[in-house]
Amino acid sequence: MTDAGTTPPNHAAQREPRRRRRWRARNLLFVLGPGLIAANAGNDAGGIATYASAGSQFAYRALFVMLLVTVALVVVQEMSARLGVYTGEGLVSLIREQFNIRLGFFAVVCLMTANIGLVISEFAGIGAAFELLNVSRYISVPIAAVVIWGLVMFGSYRYVERVFLIFTIPFLAYPIAAIVAKPDWSEVGKQTVIPHFVGSRGFLVMVIALIGTTITPYMQLFQAAAVVDRGASPDDYRSARKDAVTGAIFSNVISMAIIIATAAAIGGTGALSSAKQAAEALRPMVGGGAVALFAIGLLGASSLAAAVVPLSTSYAISEAVGVERSVSSRFREAPLFLGLFTGQVVVGAVIALLPGNLINLLINTQVLNGLIAPVFLTFILVLANRRSVLGDAANKPAFRVLATVCVGTVGVLALAVVAMTVVGWF
Amino acid sequence: MSVVFRIWPRRRPARERARPASTIRFATGHLISAAGLVGGVARNQAGAEIGRIKDIVVRWDDAAYPQVTGLVLRVGRRTSFLPAANIAEMDRSGVVLRSARLSLKDFERREGEIQLIDDLLDHQLIDVSGVRVVRSSDLYLASIVGTFRLVGLDVGMQSLVRRLGPAQLRRRPTPSRVIDWSTIQPISRPGEPLRLGRTRQALHRLRPAELADLVEELGSAQRQAFVSALDPDVAAEVLEEMEPEELEELLTDMPREQAASLLENMAPDEASEALREMDEEDRDEVLEEMGQVARTELTKLLSYDEDTAGSMMTSVTVTVTLSATVDEAIAALAGFAEDRGDIDGVLIVDDSGRLIDDIPLFDLLLADRSASVGSLTGAPYPVTVQDHEHIDDVLERFVDSRGTSVVVLDDDGRPVGRILADDVIDALLEDHRLGRRSQ
Repeated sequence: MTDAGTTPPNHAAQREPRRRRRWRARNLLFVLGPGLIAANAGNDAGGIATYASAGSQFAYRALFVMLLVTVALVVVQEMSARLGVYTGEGLVSLIREQFNIRLGFFAVVCLMTANIGLVISEFAGIGAAFELLNVSRYISVPIAAVVIWGLVMFGSYRYVERVFLIFTIPFLAYPIAAIVAKPDWSEVGKQTVIPHFVGSRGFLVMVIALIGTTITPYMQLFQAAAVVDRGASPDDYRSARKDAVTGAIFSNVISMAIIIATAAAIGGTGALSSAKQAAEALRPMVGGGAVALFAIGLLGASSLAAAVVPLSTSYAISEAVGVERSVSSRFREAPLFLGLFTGQVVVGAVIALLPGNLINLLINTQVLNGLIAPVFLTFILVLANRRSVLGDAANKPAFRVLATVCVGTVGVLALAVVAMTVVGWF
Repeated sequence: MSVVFRIWPRRRPARERARPASTIRFATGHLISAAGLVGGVARNQAGAEIGRIKDIVVRWDDAAYPQVTGLVLRVGRRTSFLPAANIAEMDRSGVVLRSARLSLKDFERREGEIQLIDDLLDHQLIDVSGVRVVRSSDLYLASIVGTFRLVGLDVGMQSLVRRLGPAQLRRRPTPSRVIDWSTIQPISRPGEPLRLGRTRQALHRLRPAELADLVEELGSAQRQAFVSALDPDVAAEVLEEMEPEELEELLTDMPREQAASLLENMAPDEASEALREMDEEDRDEVLEEMGQVARTELTKLLSYDEDTAGSMMTSVTVTVTLSATVDEAIAALAGFAEDRGDIDGVLIVDDSGRLIDDIPLFDLLLADRSASVGSLTGAPYPVTVQDHEHIDDVLERFVDSRGTSVVVLDDDGRPVGRILADDVIDALLEDHRLGRRSQ
């Protein structure tokens, strides 16, 4: 703070000085910086469903995969932050500048597909949360879509998002739940550290879902946009990197806690089939309130992401195209921005209403995300490798190898899932 | 978290800005799309393919419409330069070379030249006439008296879509939103020097507030380059117009000496407000780099609490004692030419420095040159405020006075500064914005 040393006269203090109020708002945002936001993005509806399903189906066996995914996430988020810091531009804008227009368009199509999957999963999460509270999703999802769309369009969204953010706090209870559940810690340790793989299609699909839900293209967009908007310059790179890395690690600690807590509660009972089952993981800690607590957390995380994901994607694309991107503009003035946002919300809500099991839908959208992830990651990797983009901050040889291995591995796994699915058709 | 994205305008929304329509004076039929030319064929006189067009090079000088100096061709696996002098014809689909035999040189970037595809297409540029940052979707060439020149910039989405299509479609210009090139200012890529040389003139036609809008639209690296490339005095004026938070970011990021010298050039009240936004450590380091006079003055302004009269006043005052003549008072004014915007009148003080009266410049001008300023004093006496009084009280006093400024006094009644109407507008505007936000 600027004026920590001086004490304002009494009358000034009572009046709540203007500038001080502004500072406080900024500090709050700093606390809720990319770190916590990354954590929330990873632990949205799709994330919870996928981690819980991994825990229930394969118990602790998924932990080693998560360890690898954490490394990959750290690498990818660091590259995104670095691109933002050194170029001062969003990722989609950079892609437009650096690749030919068709490749850039391909990247945007992949991004949009992955994001629509994500938005579907957020609305599915809202539906599932309300179903836990005995409200049909055919009522809750359309209302939620209209409310979220309206809040963003009419500008009061900024205040509501804090409420959503507070709603997500129950999910921070997972690490405690994981401890209270008294898991077999030696087993947990072994399964985390010792490399292993289960050679079944089910496991492979689950791995892709875990990757897809943890390393979402939207998170990289957000990471880069966040540092750009803070006006971070190369001097701030160290702190931006620290923020990106701790955010990624923190996010995955929560993810692994979800897996451990669920595995301890219902591990080995097969794939997750309902949100109620997932809520069981919180029972050892909070008892009867587990379902309600889980529902609130799921609702908060889903609502937050249902607004932020389409908003940030529309923003990034409009920025790259170079058109008006303000929610306060009329449709005629910003057709692309408002159209993309509205389209994503509508498509997401409609698909989430199609009959079928919501948990399956949630996990399938994460698989889709996992299949697309390597494409977008390749763009980031190529950008971060280019000296013409980053100068001396371009990937160093060792980092380049590590990043290539990460992206390559994700790509090979995605191809394997596609191949196995295609083979399965015959 | 959505605060991360600038979807809520901080200043006037773009549509409120004056945006003179810049029209292009060339018929669509004669325009060649630079994006469409890429991949086009370069043939010799016999009609045989020599290579494919990869990029277009223009000279980067003071010309309103930069001249094409040559093409970058891909010939087999090599990248060669084809000078404009060797081009016999150029149309949308490619070029025909002048001579049958041709010595193609390997392409190398040269000083004073710029590549349309690599450096400008899809990059951010400044539209000076519209005071906004745009991104180019296509660049148009036209032949003017026998030489090809860069004449227009396309920012339309239609052209982006067209470029996705097959070659036939790609080559046909779709100038739905074209800006005349003479009003365009490129921005540097990070790490490269800003190419301000060319249309600096056009940029300087903008008002400081408009330049400030542009600076706020740029990314941090580009801002640095942009501000550094401006004339120091203009830069200081631009910074005065920026939002305090944005200004704080900009100043914190730049080298300390540069920040210090910019702040020294700014009006003291604006400079102290910017310093107030900074972390204590950054602030001390910047103050350290300043000259003695500026440092003392700014340190004094900073010692006032926020939201008091002292923190919003400008410390520039012209003071004479009772015994001075009108002539001497006018001579004293001459030394403050740079601060003319901050001076509303000449303050008359007694021998111990206490305020007696504030003589408006108008009165001074009409008075007899040889008269003593004492003869001009008398009711109505100026409206004054104490330096530690709260802004709200200042506002009330201001409204009561119906004047354009109030004089700020210290506890002993000595004038320490002046609050002008524009400072009050800033304060009110901030209140207004906060009020709207918290609704």
